[in-house]
Amino acid sequence: MALNVLICDDSLLARNQLKKSLPADFDATIVTASNGLEALTVLQTQDIGLVFLDLTMPELDGVGVLEAIKAQALDCLVIVVSADIQPQMQQRVMELGALAFIQKPASADKLAAVLHKYGLI
Amino acid sequence: MTALHFTEEQRDCLQELVNVAMGQASDKLARYLATMVHLQVPAIKLVDTQQLPQHFAQRYQQQSVSLISMGFFGDQGLRGEAIMLYQLANVDVLARLLEYSDDDSSEAEMLTDISSVLTTTFLNGLAEQLDNSFSYAAPRILSSRDQHFADKLAATAQQWQLALQVDIRYQLTDYSFHCDMILLIPGEAVLRLRQMLDQILANF
Repeated sequence: MALNVLICDDSLLARNQLKKSLPADFDATIVTASNGLEALTVLQTQDIGLVFLDLTMPELDGVGVLEAIKAQALDCLVIVVSADIQPQMQQRVMELGALAFIQKPASADKLAAVLHKYGLI
Repeated sequence: MTALHFTEEQRDCLQELVNVAMGQASDKLARYLATMVHLQVPAIKLVDTQQLPQHFAQRYQQQSVSLISMGFFGDQGLRGEAIMLYQLANVDVLARLLEYSDDDSSEAEMLTDISSVLTTTFLNGLAEQLDNSFSYAAPRILSSRDQHFADKLAATAQQWQLALQVDIRYQLTDYSFHCDMILLIPGEAVLRLRQMLDQILANF
C-alpha cells in the first residue's frame, strides 16, 4: 500500500527536485505544500505518513511545523530537508522529533539511504 | 524598467539556489562568530543600477554604512561585483565577538574579513549549483564611517547595467546584525544566467 507523503517547501524547484530524486521503488502518493501553515492544514485533514520538511519558509517555518506536530501529537514521520545546515539547527530539529536531516539540494543517493535506513523502502 | 527580467519559474529557481548558497554562508558565519544565525527567506530582485543608491539611502536614512566590494569572474561570461552593506551601528557587537580592537583600522579589517567569508562562501555555493566556478578579486572598502555611502554606491553601480539585489538578514541568537548583499552584473551575464536557470528547470 502506498505511503502518503507530504513535501513542504516554498520553492517549486525544490519540491520538484525532491519528487524527482525519490527512489523509483518508493511506493508513495505525493502531496505538496508551499509553507508551514499549508502543511499543518494537510496534516490535520489527511492521513500523512511521512513529511519532507523545509525549514526556511514564509508564513510558518519548519521549526514551527515541528513544534505544532509535537504539540498536536500528529502521527507522522518527518525528514527535514534544508539549506540551514548549522549544527545547532540540526540538533534542534532532531530534538523536536525529526527522523533525519538532509542537506539541500537533496541527492537521490542520500534520500534512498535515509529511506532505506528507516525501513521506508 | 529593465528589458531583462526573470520569469516566475526562473525567479523561483534562482531564489532556491540563493537559499542554498546563503545557508552555506550562514553556517560559515555562525562558525566564525561561534554563535547561531537565524535564517530568513532571501528576497531577490533584478533592478536597474540607477535605482540602487536611492533605495539604500532610504533604507538606511542617516545611518552610517560601510560598503565592501569584491569582483568575481566565472566561466561562460558570468561575472560581476558583489557589494556588502553593513550598518555600522551594530558592528561593535561583532568586534567584541571577534575580539577586534575598536579603532577604525580594525573595523575595516573586520568587515573585510567577514565580507570575504560571506561573499566567497555564498558565491562558491551559487557557482557549484550552476556548474560553474568563480575566481575573486581582493575585497576593497568603497566607503567607511566618515563617507556618504550612497554617492560611493552610485559611482560603482553606474559602471554596471543591472543589479541582483539580494536582501539578507542575518539575525544572531543574542543580538541583531544585519547586512545586505548586492550583486552587480552586466546584461550579458543576466542572459547567461537565465540560460543556466532554464537548463536546471528543464531537468525538473
